[in-house]
Amino acid sequence: MEKRRAEGVHAEEDSAAGLHGTIQMPLEIRVHGRGGQGGVTCAKLIAAVYARTGLYVQTFGDYGAERSGAPVRAFTRVDHLPIKNRNKVYHPDHLLVLDSGLLGPLVLEGVSSGSVLLVNSTDSAESLADQFPSFKLGVIDATAIAREHGIGTSAVVIINTTIVGSYARMLDLPMAAVEYVYSSLGLSDDLAAAHEAYDSVVILPVRQPGGKGNPIAPVQVPIPPVLPQTEHCLDIPTTLQTGTWSSQTPSYQEYEAPCNRACPAGNDVVGFIQALKNDGPEAAAEVLLKTQPLPSVCGRVCPAPCMTECNRKFLDGAVNIRSLERWISGRAQVQLEKKQPLLKKDFAVVGSGPAGLSAAYHLTLEGHRVVVYEKMAMAGGVLRYGIPRYRLPDDMLHRDLDRIIALGVTFRYNHPLDRAGLLKLHDEYDGVIVCKGFGDAYAIGVAGEDLGGVEQGLDYLAGSKESIRQLGGTVLVVGGGNTAIDCARSALRSGASSVKLIYRRSREEMPAIAEEVEEACREGVQVLTWRQPVGFVGNKTVCGVVLAEVDPGPPGKDGRRTPVITDRTFELDCNTVLLALGQDRKLNLLPDSWRIEEARAWEEENPLNVWFAGDCRTGDGTVAHAIGHGRMTAYSALADIDTSPAAGYAEKVYKSVVAPAHIRFSHFPVIPPHSDRHRSVSSYQNNFEEVNLGLSGQEEAERCFSCGRCTFCDTCLVYCPDGVIYRTETGYRIDEAYCKGCGICVVECPRRAMEMHEK
Amino acid sequence: MPVELISANQAAALSATLAGRANRTGRGFCSGVYPITPATECMEYLCAQEIEKSRVVRVESEHSAMGVCIGGAATGARTFTTTSSNGLAYMAENCITAASLRLPVVMVVANRTMGPPWNIWADHGDSLMMRDSGWIQFYCADNQEVFDTVLCAFRLAEDPQVLTPFMICMDGFTLSHTIAQTKVPEQKEVDRFLPPTSIPHQLGRIPHALGQIELSSQVAAHRAQHHNALLGAEKVYKTVQDSFEQIFNRRPAEPVVAYRLEDAETVIISMGTIGATAEQAVDKLRQQGVKAGSLRVRMFRPFPADRLRSLLRGKMFVAVIDRDISLGFGGILWGELRGLAEPGAVVQNYIAGIGGGDVRPGHIRDIVAELKHRSVSAAPVIMEELL
Amino acid sequence: MNEPMLGGMIQTELDRSTPFLRSGNLNCGGCGMSNILQLLGHAIAEREVKLVIPACCGAITAGNYPQSTFDVPMILTTFASAASVATGIASVARLNNEDTRVICLAGDGGTYDIGLATLSAAAERDENILYICYDNEIYGNTGGQRSSATPAGASTMSTPKGKKEIKKDIVAIMAAHRIPYAATVSLAHADDGLRKMRKALDTSGFRFLHILSPCPTGWKSEPAMGIELVRLAVRSGLFPVYEVFHGDRYVINVEPDFSDEALGMYLSLQRRFRKSGMTEATLRPEIDRYWHGLRSLSGRIVPARRFME
Repeated sequence: MEKRRAEGVHAEEDSAAGLHGTIQMPLEIRVHGRGGQGGVTCAKLIAAVYARTGLYVQTFGDYGAERSGAPVRAFTRVDHLPIKNRNKVYHPDHLLVLDSGLLGPLVLEGVSSGSVLLVNSTDSAESLADQFPSFKLGVIDATAIAREHGIGTSAVVIINTTIVGSYARMLDLPMAAVEYVYSSLGLSDDLAAAHEAYDSVVILPVRQPGGKGNPIAPVQVPIPPVLPQTEHCLDIPTTLQTGTWSSQTPSYQEYEAPCNRACPAGNDVVGFIQALKNDGPEAAAEVLLKTQPLPSVCGRVCPAPCMTECNRKFLDGAVNIRSLERWISGRAQVQLEKKQPLLKKDFAVVGSGPAGLSAAYHLTLEGHRVVVYEKMAMAGGVLRYGIPRYRLPDDMLHRDLDRIIALGVTFRYNHPLDRAGLLKLHDEYDGVIVCKGFGDAYAIGVAGEDLGGVEQGLDYLAGSKESIRQLGGTVLVVGGGNTAIDCARSALRSGASSVKLIYRRSREEMPAIAEEVEEACREGVQVLTWRQPVGFVGNKTVCGVVLAEVDPGPPGKDGRRTPVITDRTFELDCNTVLLALGQDRKLNLLPDSWRIEEARAWEEENPLNVWFAGDCRTGDGTVAHAIGHGRMTAYSALADIDTSPAAGYAEKVYKSVVAPAHIRFSHFPVIPPHSDRHRSVSSYQNNFEEVNLGLSGQEEAERCFSCGRCTFCDTCLVYCPDGVIYRTETGYRIDEAYCKGCGICVVECPRRAMEMHEK
Repeated sequence: MPVELISANQAAALSATLAGRANRTGRGFCSGVYPITPATECMEYLCAQEIEKSRVVRVESEHSAMGVCIGGAATGARTFTTTSSNGLAYMAENCITAASLRLPVVMVVANRTMGPPWNIWADHGDSLMMRDSGWIQFYCADNQEVFDTVLCAFRLAEDPQVLTPFMICMDGFTLSHTIAQTKVPEQKEVDRFLPPTSIPHQLGRIPHALGQIELSSQVAAHRAQHHNALLGAEKVYKTVQDSFEQIFNRRPAEPVVAYRLEDAETVIISMGTIGATAEQAVDKLRQQGVKAGSLRVRMFRPFPADRLRSLLRGKMFVAVIDRDISLGFGGILWGELRGLAEPGAVVQNYIAGIGGGDVRPGHIRDIVAELKHRSVSAAPVIMEELL
Repeated sequence: MNEPMLGGMIQTELDRSTPFLRSGNLNCGGCGMSNILQLLGHAIAEREVKLVIPACCGAITAGNYPQSTFDVPMILTTFASAASVATGIASVARLNNEDTRVICLAGDGGTYDIGLATLSAAAERDENILYICYDNEIYGNTGGQRSSATPAGASTMSTPKGKKEIKKDIVAIMAAHRIPYAATVSLAHADDGLRKMRKALDTSGFRFLHILSPCPTGWKSEPAMGIELVRLAVRSGLFPVYEVFHGDRYVINVEPDFSDEALGMYLSLQRRFRKSGMTEATLRPEIDRYWHGLRSLSGRIVPARRFME
């Protein structure tokens, strides 16, 4: 046969000689892809590469009305001689399949054993080799490479330029020719992907050689007689299953809401708000009480980190979650059912603060017997003795306590505990959970601290819960936490003519609840920031304080700037000083041979059934943290004691949290938050009535985005272009047989309750 | 039966009016019309009629005129329109749609030369342009024939075995504007002749589509069915003639009108009004001792090949007069006919009357005289000057 | 968009019992026209409908003979014939006292360009037709060439460097025919869109709906972002959402925020605007000018842009 060279091409001379010898001519190539993947261009690129080596080529697509994603074919012929055949390729020597989902009898039709088969697939080469042992097989995950190089869109990745690299490797085509072709077609940007595909294609030889000439038989598709148009008046439904077009598919997926993640108590915030919205306070309480034994308390005193994290604050203000909790607590009479465990255990809980109550509550809910040992005459700990009534009225505390008592928790009051007592409990009970709260309040450590009139704020607060203690003149409160604010506002209600709050950092850095600080200021408390007492002045009783100015220093470990006390001082008259500087976490209870690891007591190498929960362990200092830690400790204690599988308690694990960027703000009308109502009084003197009256209705629940959790809002249903989403008894169903994988439902979902994944 | 003195344009419109009214018990009559010389008068006449259950839409173009007919026929109405020349060309794609959707639209074409350069007189170039579009085409020679053919057209086009659109062609001005006596039947007679339109594949309540995309095999199958329906139309036309005769007591003209053909040695073949002139010329030639005969092809599509072949048996001198020209080839009628003549016969093409020139008996006698000198067929003779 | 309004729109007793656009149709994933057909189906509900589609992507939607992709009887016409064929169908329906809505569904090519004369004539005759133009601003069926609906700055296969001329104002043209009802519909405002479709279905005479229809293939955008693109076009003022009654009463339905942020996002999410270098600043004057006119037509004494920078 006369070997001629196609005219008008500048061949890659060196490689061409070898190429012409190794590949049998004429050569027929068939490419199978999906509309949008670039199958026709793929065939054209291959032709151009061969043309560059000096051969005659011919290439064309099988044009139809196919749309993005529909199966399409393209063909290339290569020969030493000008090509006269103008038909489609029925017996390809090389078969490229751009989507392994297409691999089937129709694609393989007419291919003989020994042929080259290059497949874009995420499957392993080995598994494909088992399927196609009689082919020379090349396997490449071109989609991953092309996606990495950003070729095409996420729904339709264009892989043609990538897979040609693998083809060049399989056929030993010179990459120089590929580079020439890409640059002449303006595709140089895609060369890196082609090179990567060149390097990473897995090539396997023919395993089961068979004689050439026994091609895979064509699929016999019965052709129905064509109905005359004049007789066509019947409704004949479609049979095309467009689900095969897509490479990705949507599904419903729950993501963690930022409020849920932020809640130290572990409350299902989204869950209870949606339950409130849809089914009312009783249903909401069912959800809330699963994690929250003290909703009446937290609904009033929680600093509500959930609200700080609420995604709605980026639209029109955070949802007033705390007050919704309060709303529920006041309107539901729900008592959860106790479980019936296989083995009932006996627990002792030391301390009836929020951590102790939480531990006792959850252990009881799990069906175990619990006795709470409280050193004081009544239950509640810091809730009873540390939080003033105007924030937490006694009857509100009792409402929560009564529910816990009604559940069956036994309380032993006036029962302080020492080392011997703890050892005794350890011997008597299956498990002991110590929740004794903080230790002693920190002293300030400056001259004049022991003068009369300088006292710990906590002592003052506990005292004023017994009976209102009249203060007079100027009261100075030192500190920036909730205790400090409570002291200041209580002092204002107890006869003080002026109350000043001294804090050594900025107002924004105060650990106290921001609304509480605002309230305090509104009531008349003066806040002096960047100040620190360096001495108290007085004769027996304090009559003044020396305040030093504080400069912000370099950032400390926690990121906050370290206060640097300067020598710029001034003196301020005062009659009473209340110190609210925090408390230590000394336990003073452990026998000498015990030590604590992972919140559990150990004696030498033996774990003891004694656990520690709440502020005595974590020092977080909020009711919500204490509740959360009490619950988690209770469950880990249960898991440690009872190793039967039934005892397992799993916290729900989410892939990720819903960020503001995931929320489709445009789907929500702007509605400003519903604020709490406040009692307005002319004077707070001697008035410890609750100031905050909470919400006037539950409309605020409507504002919840329900981040990450489907509300069956129908947005996906409305915007699915193909109408393949159907409502079911429990939610929605996506008909994957027809879903084209466009992803509109996922993008339009207002709250990230859906996700897209590769097929 | 009353006789009206009307033009062929009016005869066509009157016939369509009677046919339209006959469908008042069916789904009514729907027409889209647009003026163009020389078909304007037909359109105007129609617009002046009161037809029960009908709408004649005065559209903005011929393209839309056919669009309205397609929409009307697709929902079961009897449909009619009229046009000419460039109007037909502008309408062309919708004519093909009507045919391919197998909708029995009836259209009267007043044949006129295509322009520009502008010329408004008779020439078959416009309707022959639509030769391959799947329409039935009849060419008429006089007013009565126009009237009768329009009535027959509805009956034939709407026949369940046919279901194709129907084009009635009449030479512009020469026929369209010529006023002559025309027998017009009573409405009740027309009602008997034309039962309510029934289009089996019309859009009703059942979801189905007309005109969807088709695979090549489906297109081929539908073309074959369409082709066979057209071929069968010739036979169906005979039953239409029978029925017409039974009701109206006269027989509409045959697909091919033979005149003094039996012993003719020379045959003049033509379409339209030239055919009538040819018959007159034949009489004169016979007086002069020339054994001439005439064949007037009325039904051009479907092409009556067998009928023509048998009529031409033994005829050794055939003159085909075309009022059209397929540029670069010759006369269109001649191109179709020449294979049907007796082997060895001289089949000579004369292209006469294009651009509307008057083809008079003398021209035809000249043609016969010229033909006698030929022993073999030659290239088409274009008669540029008809004096 | 108000989420509670969306709920209960579909797959309820108010909806049609079978989908209007059936599964297994040939439209691209994320095709805006599919969205339109879904919404239209909900609006149609159990009303009797005949559908007319000229040459356009919608002709492919109908699928292969003899299967039906649409749940109603329909006819496919030549490119410029939708309004004329619909005239015939509507006429026969009226002759037979049938309560049938005849709906034309045409692309921008068939509406703004080749079919404009037919459309104009049908509107002038006040035919009893609902004409819906799904405007993907491109000849999509032929692979993406410019039409007179293509916005300035967009690259198409026939304007590779970007189209220079601004988009034709089709609603103004239709309003000038004094038709009973003309409106633009935003797919991102499904409740408003559904209301207008129902209104258009139940008005008699010629009704025209202009719907911006995202085309991921032609706009070179992510299929998933189609609805969001419409939302951005509405927010930025680029696609005004309004209705016109009898050609003179203008009602603006959605107030844009005219933000450059939305406009910039709209441009950057589509690759078709890359080559021409079209920016918020180059588009803004034309948007302002248009809104100025719209405000005066709607008779509201407010500035064209409510939020000035």
